[in-house]
Amino acid sequence: MSQASTLTPTRQPLQIDRFVVGVALFGLALLGFLIWLETAPFLVVLFAVGTLLGVALYHGAFGFTAGWRNLVTKKRGAGMRAQLLLFALTSLLMVPLLGNNPDDLIGAVAPVGTSLIVGSFIFGVGMQLGGGCGSGTLFTVGSGNIRMVVTLLFFIIGAVIGSIHLPWWLDLPAVDPISLIDGLGIPGAIAAQWLALGAIAWWVTRIERRAHGNVERAEWRFRSGDNGFLRTLLTGRWPFFWAIAVLAIGNTLTLVLGGSPWGITFAFNLWGAKALQAVGVDMSQFEFWTWDYPAMALADSVLVNITSVMNFGLLLGAMLAAGMANRFNEASRTRPQGRQFLAAIVGGLMLGYGARLGFGCNIGALFSGIASASLHGWIWFASAFLGSMMGIRLRPWFRLPN
Amino acid sequence: MQAVYRRSSVLIALAVILVLIMADHLQSPTFAFNMGRGNVETTLMQQDSTACAPCGAPCPSARE
Repeated sequence: MSQASTLTPTRQPLQIDRFVVGVALFGLALLGFLIWLETAPFLVVLFAVGTLLGVALYHGAFGFTAGWRNLVTKKRGAGMRAQLLLFALTSLLMVPLLGNNPDDLIGAVAPVGTSLIVGSFIFGVGMQLGGGCGSGTLFTVGSGNIRMVVTLLFFIIGAVIGSIHLPWWLDLPAVDPISLIDGLGIPGAIAAQWLALGAIAWWVTRIERRAHGNVERAEWRFRSGDNGFLRTLLTGRWPFFWAIAVLAIGNTLTLVLGGSPWGITFAFNLWGAKALQAVGVDMSQFEFWTWDYPAMALADSVLVNITSVMNFGLLLGAMLAAGMANRFNEASRTRPQGRQFLAAIVGGLMLGYGARLGFGCNIGALFSGIASASLHGWIWFASAFLGSMMGIRLRPWFRLPN
Repeated sequence: MQAVYRRSSVLIALAVILVLIMADHLQSPTFAFNMGRGNVETTLMQQDSTACAPCGAPCPSARE
């Protein structure tokens, strides 16, 4: 072997899964055309935004669940700091929009009380057992992960049960939504949030440095690495910051186009309720489904429900990205069995029930809540993190690696 | 890398999702409106500015 051939790195030819990429592109074109034909242009754009978010979540491997677990078990904080950076950047974009357009744009604000604390705690446990959060479940299903299909199915069931119970929980002690924009003004809200996010980032960094003596700064990595920009863009894996930028801009676009920030789990509620309605259950007997927004969504097509449309885009976007990376269905090489399967069921139920009680998941309540400068987002964060710590302790019993 | 899935499974799964979406849409007021029926109430912009949460929940202070 010559010296040149040993030293010169040879780039592997681009390997994509043509079948998966083709099917995903066909699905995107077909559903996009249907939405354009039957609804309105802004929903087509939101469908495209959802697709882009799915690509970013997959190629950026942007998992909230793994980021939290890495901090607790491995004492590595890059994933957690990436999330904090995402919240900081997005609140910088969204808080001025919300503060200056209070009549046109509605932030992700929600009541603070028993329902929020209990729901987000349950969701946190479910994240670690189910193997993903709201966005994580959806993008891994899109990339062909069979275990996460089970989690999603029970996520939907849990969300419907949660919707039936929510009115009871709402009667327990709680106060109306608290918006930092109303209390501190636009600059004050941004400053307070950045201060709090900076304090958490300092705490995370301190944990990592104490454990390892150094800090991995993966969240600040911009460069694409050895594969070059275009190839990395198409096939991954993206540096964290690329995903952060796309997610921040995507959520802001959702707010501007749809009138409220990005959410995921309401669609799971809706799909479950529609399934029950299809088999003859009268959903109007449950208080939740008599409230204006759920009743409107239940009565009309899923193609005019923003959350559903974006979720469809996200699923197909993740499928496209997995096909481009030639890794579609790769996580299903070993099928879940026994307790792992049970974890997907229990985790899914807890995710769904917790998300409904906690007014959303890691996207609708945590990401969009903090980006909207709502106090409930912060309380959701703390409570879900505690639940997640309990979930991490439970994982070994379910034969899940930490 | 050798594919670990069956192509037919992927196509069937996506076809089922499409059928469910279409079954829901074809029974909806939006589809009826698009077909020329004027006496239906569609909800192209599903927003409730009086709600206290993204899911449409009312404010705790408004509950009896």
